[in-house]
Amino acid sequence: MKSIIRKCFYMATFILSAVSIHPASIDLSIAASLKEVVTELSNDFANMKPAVSFKRNTGAPGALATQIENGAPCDIFFSANADWADYLMKKKLADAGSISVLAFNELVFVGKSGLKVNGLNDVVTLKKIAIGSPKSVPAGEYAMEAFTKADLVGRLKYKLVMAKDVRECLMYAERGEVDGAFVYRTDAAIASRNVKILFIVPQRLYRRITYTMTLTGSGAGKKEAADFYRFMHSAHAKKVLVKYGFAVK
Amino acid sequence: MSGFGPSDYSAMALSVKVALTATLLSLPFGFAVAYLMTFNKFRGKIVLDGIVNLPLTLPPVVIGYLLLLLLGRNGWIGRTLLQPLGIEVIFTWKAAVIATAVVGFPLMVRSIRIGMETIDRGLIQASRTLGAGRLDTVTTVILPLSLRGIIAGSVLMFARGLGEFGATIIVAGNIPGVTQTIPLAIYEYASSPGGDVMAMALCGISITLSGIVLIFHEWIGRRMDRAG
Repeated sequence: MKSIIRKCFYMATFILSAVSIHPASIDLSIAASLKEVVTELSNDFANMKPAVSFKRNTGAPGALATQIENGAPCDIFFSANADWADYLMKKKLADAGSISVLAFNELVFVGKSGLKVNGLNDVVTLKKIAIGSPKSVPAGEYAMEAFTKADLVGRLKYKLVMAKDVRECLMYAERGEVDGAFVYRTDAAIASRNVKILFIVPQRLYRRITYTMTLTGSGAGKKEAADFYRFMHSAHAKKVLVKYGFAVK
Repeated sequence: MSGFGPSDYSAMALSVKVALTATLLSLPFGFAVAYLMTFNKFRGKIVLDGIVNLPLTLPPVVIGYLLLLLLGRNGWIGRTLLQPLGIEVIFTWKAAVIATAVVGFPLMVRSIRIGMETIDRGLIQASRTLGAGRLDTVTTVILPLSLRGIIAGSVLMFARGLGEFGATIIVAGNIPGVTQTIPLAIYEYASSPGGDVMAMALCGISITLSGIVLIFHEWIGRRMDRAG
């Protein structure tokens, strides 16, 4: 019996030591619209520091926040708004004071190039429109905000296909299953040739789209995560963000 | 209970409507296929058997995606048949019915086949020698004697239809009040912060509905046993 316990002990020490010599891994929860830019920047960072590796989880920020709330590993949380970061802060899951602004974006309407749609009032004449589910997708929240301001909510009811994230919205439009979709300008930039920006939603109709970056409880205690957090505010990171079409001021 | 909004109630109604329509639409086909598979020998029987049963083991997402590619605006059937006729399927409740029908069909066929296999072949031969035509035999001997299998299969398919998610979310999208069924509503609540209470409430509805259907299934089975 004793020897079994001893063996188990040796085994446990061996496994633990094996873990500790592994490179530090940073877990990122990334808003769908930031997927490419954060992937590129985290690769840049990993090239500079070969001991660091990343695990990237992308999706709707609301869904990511729910995952974090339920114990999903995450060191840095990227959201297309401040609301979900505040939500985590209230639940004491994010490091108070680490919430910072990363970049800005704009809401646009994409659809087939032939479509005669020049503004929000034309959208109500269409049959099916994709938006992100406002419950968890900020792009959908901003769109609903604009509909409410323009007093179009009633006329758009039953026409709105709720996508699970902003990229699914774009995909619906690209495939032609919906007449158009509300996405970010940066998403429209990577869209296939089938669709193009038909109009830009006037800024007066919704709050400015503000991306935030937040260290979670586990991230605040991890030196590499804090380093990457600072790296994301560097001049190089700003340049890459601008390259992808984000505004940085 | 009072926390439910209009879109939650319409999700409940829609779930029942979609599952019921899919089951009723599948009934004649399910009966025909089961009859073919039980009483006939023909070339390609194994192939038909495979095709009918495939949705049982395929991930529903695969079915949904294939249906989307087939019925979508750029899809093969979508472009050549549905568009010219002005029929829109994708992102309507009809798409949810089709997805549910495909996914649940093998369950129905299996149950009906089991019912048909228990029929005494002597009875069928007797009806034929007494001068009944093929169709007559089907309607007066096989149909009543496989009723239990038909009901069991329908109930199973209905229950499966209530829970259809993977194929439905791809072809029917997620339009509150139009195509959002209970599983889709739960999925949306479960991925939004603070949605736990509503997700749990809808889970409760889901469990209740499934419980009722299963109890009904048992009850019908027992009643049939006594009658038989």
